[in-house]
Amino acid sequence: MKVLVAVKRVIDYNVKVRVRADNSNVDLANVKMSINPFCEIAVEESVRLKESGAATEVVVVSIGPKAVQEQIRSALAAGADRGIWVETDDTELSGLAVARLLAQVVRDEQPGLVLLGKQAIDTDNNQTGQMLAALLDWPQATFASKLEVKGAEVEVTREIDGGLQTLALTLPAVVTADLRLNTPRYIKLPDIMKAKRKPLATTSPAALAVGPGTGVKLLGVTPPTERRGGIKVESVAALVDCLKNQAQVL
Amino acid sequence: MSYLHPYQDVAFVLRKVVDFDGLCAAAGHDEINADLAATILSEAGRLGSEVLAPLNRVGDREGARMGAQGVEESPGFKDAYRQFADAGWLSLTVAEDFGGQDLPNCLGTAVNEIWHSANMAFALCPMLSQGAMEAIGHHADDALKALYLPKLAAGEWTGTMNITEADAGSDLAAIKTKARPAGDHYLITGQKLYITWGDHGMTDNIVHLVLARLPDAPPGVKGISLFIVPKFLLDAKGEPGERNAVNCLSLEHKLGIHASPTCLMDFTDAVGFLVGEPNNGLAYMFTMMNHARQSVGLQGLAISERAYQEALQYAKDRLQGTRRDGSRIPIIEFPDVRRMLMTMKSCIEAMRVLALVAAAEADRARYATDPAVAARHFARLEVYTPIVKGWLTELAQELTSLGIQIDGGMGYVEEAGAAQHYRDARILPIYEGTTGIQALDFVGRKMLANKGETLLALLTEMEQTAAELRSTPYRYGSVVKAFEAAVAAGTRARQSLLDGAAADRHLAGSASVNFLMLFGYLCGGWLMVKSAQQAQLMLNAGEGDPQLLSAKLTTTRFFCEHLLPRTGACLASVLAGSESTMALTAEQL
Amino acid sequence: MSILVIAEHDHHQLKSATLHTLAAATQIGGDLDVLVAGSGCQAVADAVAAIPGVRTVLLADAPAYAHQLAENIARLVVALAPGHRHILAPATTTGKDFMPRVAALLGVNQVSDITAVVGPDSFRRPIYAGNAIATVQVEDPVIVATVRATAFPAVATTGGSAAITPVPEVFEAVRTRFVSESLVESDRPELTSARIVVSGGRGVGSAENFALLYRLADKLGAAVGATRAAVDAGYVPNDLQVGQTGKVVAPDLYIAVGISGAIQHLAGMKESKVIAAINSDAEAPIFQVADYGLVADLFTALPELIDSI
Repeated sequence: MKVLVAVKRVIDYNVKVRVRADNSNVDLANVKMSINPFCEIAVEESVRLKESGAATEVVVVSIGPKAVQEQIRSALAAGADRGIWVETDDTELSGLAVARLLAQVVRDEQPGLVLLGKQAIDTDNNQTGQMLAALLDWPQATFASKLEVKGAEVEVTREIDGGLQTLALTLPAVVTADLRLNTPRYIKLPDIMKAKRKPLATTSPAALAVGPGTGVKLLGVTPPTERRGGIKVESVAALVDCLKNQAQVL
Repeated sequence: MSYLHPYQDVAFVLRKVVDFDGLCAAAGHDEINADLAATILSEAGRLGSEVLAPLNRVGDREGARMGAQGVEESPGFKDAYRQFADAGWLSLTVAEDFGGQDLPNCLGTAVNEIWHSANMAFALCPMLSQGAMEAIGHHADDALKALYLPKLAAGEWTGTMNITEADAGSDLAAIKTKARPAGDHYLITGQKLYITWGDHGMTDNIVHLVLARLPDAPPGVKGISLFIVPKFLLDAKGEPGERNAVNCLSLEHKLGIHASPTCLMDFTDAVGFLVGEPNNGLAYMFTMMNHARQSVGLQGLAISERAYQEALQYAKDRLQGTRRDGSRIPIIEFPDVRRMLMTMKSCIEAMRVLALVAAAEADRARYATDPAVAARHFARLEVYTPIVKGWLTELAQELTSLGIQIDGGMGYVEEAGAAQHYRDARILPIYEGTTGIQALDFVGRKMLANKGETLLALLTEMEQTAAELRSTPYRYGSVVKAFEAAVAAGTRARQSLLDGAAADRHLAGSASVNFLMLFGYLCGGWLMVKSAQQAQLMLNAGEGDPQLLSAKLTTTRFFCEHLLPRTGACLASVLAGSESTMALTAEQL
Repeated sequence: MSILVIAEHDHHQLKSATLHTLAAATQIGGDLDVLVAGSGCQAVADAVAAIPGVRTVLLADAPAYAHQLAENIARLVVALAPGHRHILAPATTTGKDFMPRVAALLGVNQVSDITAVVGPDSFRRPIYAGNAIATVQVEDPVIVATVRATAFPAVATTGGSAAITPVPEVFEAVRTRFVSESLVESDRPELTSARIVVSGGRGVGSAENFALLYRLADKLGAAVGATRAAVDAGYVPNDLQVGQTGKVVAPDLYIAVGISGAIQHLAGMKESKVIAAINSDAEAPIFQVADYGLVADLFTALPELIDSI
């Protein structure tokens, strides 16, 4: 079985985001960019599927300007077999536009399973995987915390509000990774070196025959309301008094 | 405190000042380029931030200690070492024949900055392994190489350097440890002091490199030989077997780097194997010296970077003073805090570009096909080494101290973490040759010995840069003025030492540290100016990140306006000669 | 034009997230139709019918909808979409599961997790884990959006009398099979809709020590939450996680116990109206956002707190 995994280049998880002074967007100049943490978990899972024999090939795809090759290389170093770069200068593609591009890649590649992160930590949309499944008319399992390929099915445990749900999807299917699906490995130096010899194909929205489509217009970005620290109280009694009489929440 | 690798600055220096792509292409490494370097640095940065950095405080509070079975490393270190070694980081610059990646030394240096920033006490262990690999790789016979190098490169074993003895510190001629022949090996007896990571339980074996004297050895430094003494002797399959008679007797109680065990090592008829030729040990040590000393200089950069990140965060978070509208002011707004932060930032950038440019000279010397070109790069490497070791580690004292000053009272108490960096940094101007030793090396072997020729070549290049600045013209006049003055100070100091050393027998010794520091600031300033020239070219062409590039112009300007004038003070001291330094009798002091 | 809201429920009771989503719909303005899709869920439809302002309750009652499978619900919603300018659902794990599928099948975008209605086609939503708030305008003919419940008040639950219209169509995907479900049974209020949340971090020290927090929660009628560190350490199950990658809560009172205040955790609770923090480390960042901070050992402070309320 071939597994296709999609990765997104985003601001590094450890970087504190600041809004630009003109409120046009967040300030991404001069900040560290990395592979989206949930995408990284998806990559790790796909590599584990290959290591366990459930998958025979792992193909990693990313969409964006040349810099996204870094994230593809990183996924190749983590164990993916080959990469596909969908070249576009548009870094603000909507979830739907990304899903359309990925759907075309899937039609070309015919994978048995598509793995994605549940959401990107920049736009926090949590929608691309579901949209891709819909466009392909494939079954989906979001928020995956456990995944097992059993013959023609993949059994996925999902983290839902209030507990866990397990579904069995007939392959091919789309699964999106949640935080606890696995802990991605640290990439080994020899694997980084090997990754530079792995194939990386380039394509484009034009080659995939996917047009721009309608969008969601970003009117502005503002910082969240700042929360200021209040007072320190000296005792439990003082705390209860404040909560009861001053804040009136008890 | 968390740590994030300042990869943009490193990437800029590698691409634009070191010319990493050109260096690799000239060496025929087609597949190695700055993009690959960026990936490698990014993955190393992740391991450094997520695995090693969180253990830095742990190691300070719960340092290595003596247990019944030998030295026990700090909590978490064994797992971290396993992850570090499994990821192959020790093999970065090792030859492919021994399982290495054979990547350029300057990239190895850039990666090592990460380990030392994240956790210097931890990083000393692989740093010593690298030194051991270099010694074995260059000087041991093929059989010893095959036995030891692949295991060291894989990180399965670690290496140490056993040089110092109770009476032999800076004076290696006084080494007393004995080695007597016993068939195909030697039996080593003696005690070695201050052996970094001399014992631990992180790996199956430890490979000690030991300096000792053969029975018929001539006295002094010409009678020292180098031996491999493994903690466990190897069996027929090359795996650790019988325990060798080498033991850690005790650990030092130190000011800093608590997680790095500093061992008193005892050898009692321990089985050892001769590396290379008898009585050639010191020469072998000298071939490793450029790398070892530059590695310690790099630690000075790395710990300063860590201290800067801590201080910067504190300066952004700490609120003191109130504006008219009632809002509180973060201390980063105060000009004196800015002065300290800018001193840290600009010096760190100068240290980094010097460390990487110096490391690249080793690559250029190695890759050059023309012997004359190789010799020229090697001479430059030799000049840079005492500057990198001496200047970076001394500057680290000032910068880690500023880190505490920015934090104020919070810096002096241990909770904030700034104090640890200051304590950890204090060893750097001492081990691997004190600043005094570096300065003597610089003045003696690197300057007077060749009548100042190599230094003249360096100053000539600096003059060319000054001429470029004048002809551009450069946007900040103060940069041009300060740089020209500093080059003139260097030129004059060189001449005064060449002229006066013969007549004043104490001159070289008393002026050497100021002479070294003068060239430290000068080299740092020169390479900052070259960085700024590249940044300006990129800005003109609309390339790169304008914020990062314009910041480089400003840090260069700050360095030239506020740090380069220190060359004038150094020059004054050099010109003053040795008279007042030496005038008092020992009783009067 | 009208708005279609998809109700969240457990087939017996309507979940409060629906009431908050209806408040967002009311702010947009227009006729409100609510889809109740489930199995044996007449009671839910009746509850929705009693909400003032609801025009029609669309009741799709079939075994195929028993587990809210995205494939089935999405196709049902798409079938009911014509005539609606907006389609809204709560941004719960259920809503997040099927709504993007609805959007893609309709060929439009989805606006996720809206926290404010600026105009009929403009909304605010948090990005970068709430470290920035984006204002977006949708250019599509149909607006598909999920609603962050904590950002909107709840609408009233009585006084209305909407008509209930059965939806006979049944959509049943054959390639998705429900296997099992394990839901945590609890008498405590739901984390995301509780008025008070008592939350613990790594500082609580063990699963056993969390009993103190449960006791306090029971005394207050509060829900219990936790940081990622506490979840990863195995002190509590992962559905209690509050933060960037867990649940976002905004109760009237958030009591943070033994929580240092990592930004990833703050992202999930900083919209709480009042934050009280108990921590033995006076320098813990949580105190920078807490309205009331108590520097104390939680093992002495919590029993005292439990006894004094």
